[in-house]
Amino acid sequence: MEFWIQFGRGPLFAVAFSLMVLGVARILVLTIVGIVEAYRRSWDRIVNWKEVRRQTVHWLVPVGRLWRSRPVYSTLSLLFHVGLLLVPLFAGAHVLLWRRSVGFAWKAIPQSPTDVLTIITLVAGAGLLLGRVGSAAARSISRPQEYFWPLLLLVPFATGFACSHATLSPRTYQSLMLLHVYAADLILALIPFTKIAHCVLTPLSQIVTAVAWKFPPGAGDRVAATLGYADCPSWIPKARLAKSGHVVAPTVAKTATERVEVKLAKQEVTAQEVTAQ
Amino acid sequence: MQPLSAEQREKAFGSSKKAEIVERQRLPVRYHVEDFYVEDRPRRFLEAFAAILKHTNYRVALDHYIRISAKCARCSVACQVYEATGDARDVPCYRSELLLSVYRRHFTVSGVLRGRLLGDPGLTDEKVQEMAASFFDCTACRRCHFECPLGVDHALITHLGRYILSEIGIAPRALVVSTREQLIGKSGNTSGIPVPALLDSLEFLSESMQEERGIEIPFPIDQEGAEYLFLPAVSDFMMEADTLMGNAAVFRATGDSWTIGTGYYDGINYGLFYSDHVLEHVLRKIHDEAERLKIKKIVIGECGHASRTAKYFYPAFCGGRSALPVLNIMEYTHQAWKEGRLKLKPNAIEETVTYHDPCNIARPGWIVQQPRELLKAFCGNFVEMTPNGRNNICCGGGSGTVSIDEIRPYRTTVGGRAKAEQILATGAKYCVAPCANCKKQLRELMEDNHIDCQIVGLHDLLYKAIIFD
Repeated sequence: MEFWIQFGRGPLFAVAFSLMVLGVARILVLTIVGIVEAYRRSWDRIVNWKEVRRQTVHWLVPVGRLWRSRPVYSTLSLLFHVGLLLVPLFAGAHVLLWRRSVGFAWKAIPQSPTDVLTIITLVAGAGLLLGRVGSAAARSISRPQEYFWPLLLLVPFATGFACSHATLSPRTYQSLMLLHVYAADLILALIPFTKIAHCVLTPLSQIVTAVAWKFPPGAGDRVAATLGYADCPSWIPKARLAKSGHVVAPTVAKTATERVEVKLAKQEVTAQEVTAQ
Repeated sequence: MQPLSAEQREKAFGSSKKAEIVERQRLPVRYHVEDFYVEDRPRRFLEAFAAILKHTNYRVALDHYIRISAKCARCSVACQVYEATGDARDVPCYRSELLLSVYRRHFTVSGVLRGRLLGDPGLTDEKVQEMAASFFDCTACRRCHFECPLGVDHALITHLGRYILSEIGIAPRALVVSTREQLIGKSGNTSGIPVPALLDSLEFLSESMQEERGIEIPFPIDQEGAEYLFLPAVSDFMMEADTLMGNAAVFRATGDSWTIGTGYYDGINYGLFYSDHVLEHVLRKIHDEAERLKIKKIVIGECGHASRTAKYFYPAFCGGRSALPVLNIMEYTHQAWKEGRLKLKPNAIEETVTYHDPCNIARPGWIVQQPRELLKAFCGNFVEMTPNGRNNICCGGGSGTVSIDEIRPYRTTVGGRAKAEQILATGAKYCVAPCANCKKQLRELMEDNHIDCQIVGLHDLLYKAIIFD
């Protein structure tokens, strides 16, 4: 089992980590290219940068928002995220491992604050999950992954905590450590392909929304042309219907729907005629 | 908020539409839709979606939203519709997911592969029907945008969803008919007001003001080279005489040159509510009129969506940074008052006055303080609603739903419920709602909920307080 733990910490970690870095770089580049394209495509280049910055900072440090709505849920969420970011990066054992393999590392958080953070993360994570199950609104929009992710994220925390504290038999310790390492590798590898991608994409949200509201000039005409309605936009529906290649008049109209369609198709009102009226 | 009673529920969700029409159009929605081709709707929906993605900037947002959306349901606390109905389908994130799931399934590689592998048939006609109903239950007030930790703008998705639906013929008849009159009709405006009627009405207003105030307050028509082109919601010309008189009085007091153009005099732009195509063509009409009269600035009357379309989309379609500056009339009035060119009598209104922020101008933080400062300058007793300003609650008739008369019971029972409670709590005699849509909705809301509060425009009251030199 020791071999598999080492494998998980060594080569597998390297693969998972690279996948994460490359995947994250890919979505970041795609999003930024998308933003630039959208910006260049639009005529209106007036962006309220101050507002974009304000909202972005506001949600990256959402302390001021906690009490405005759903205070318990929001506080739990904030604590959960703080633990999620700090513990994996600054736990003593992680820093040590990093220094051993790469040669340099950063300062670790001492053991007892790490423990407190871990417990907070576990409790907050469990609380969030309960909050999701308990709220009708949240339940209605939850996909299976919404339950799976918090559980998966909590696995390395629970196992890591157990391994660094409880006096365990070597076998139990190894099993838990194995679970710890492989769960963490799985999480790292999946980050760019799942909703966890929000950990890197959130700072871009406000600017994405701002450029998406910039409508390129002439787009409406081009959409109509692409759909085959170049000279009869949607405000001339009868002309559109008559012109529509989709209408295949059946020989005998059986249903009320068909009768209406045939009748409308026969009117053959062209865009020009309607305009003339 | 109290849950809806069974009676209220029945009233709100009932529909007067004939069953045979619903069956013929295969569209169980409360609003009326003009007959359009019914067959093969999912395919045509996807074609329209693809065409729109190809030519617009929505793709970057959809890609981003499907990656980050964490489904935390925080938006549910910001939505007045969800608060009133308690129906999970009214959670903003649920509504957005309707369209996002279509995007994920049909326009991303992983979605297409997964669909093929699992044998998922993809978009169905039922889902198109669900979207048609859902996107018009939302008032696109953008309040949920402020509550989303991940920055998802659900109103943008509602806007896009409606645009796609309109391209396959699903759009409220009330909006489509008005737009048609505006773009290809004889009168060229949404209310179908012909020029002679307009001139008559303005002349009458001018005479009334002469009688009331003893001075001549003109409505300049077709003044070439004027500083400001004035475009109110066209319905104001017939329905909101007091607002118009206030507007004219302000211009008279400041002495700036302004004009109403007979070529085009409608600020309304329903394109914002269902079609970018319409949005652009209506704005072009404003542009043409401004060019014809060699105007320097555009002033939009007391109307939320008209102001937003002009301010935020006029540059997009008509000249970018070099486009003509756009102001809202309240901005103009406030500026004149600050500069001392407009004098107001303090305590001219003694009754309790409250202010309703129209979403379209308050949400971006554009016009929040200006009307309040003005109101405080001439009202003795001004009270605020809570919440207010940028975080206000929608009147319940936003995004064009107010023009759809057949859903009035829904609007006044569900959409405007939170607002009615808010207004009732202030105990105000006057509620200032500087937006043609909000005014109509709030009046119906007051009437249906038996609340004694008069809905007025800002300039209705301001007119009584102006001191002419």
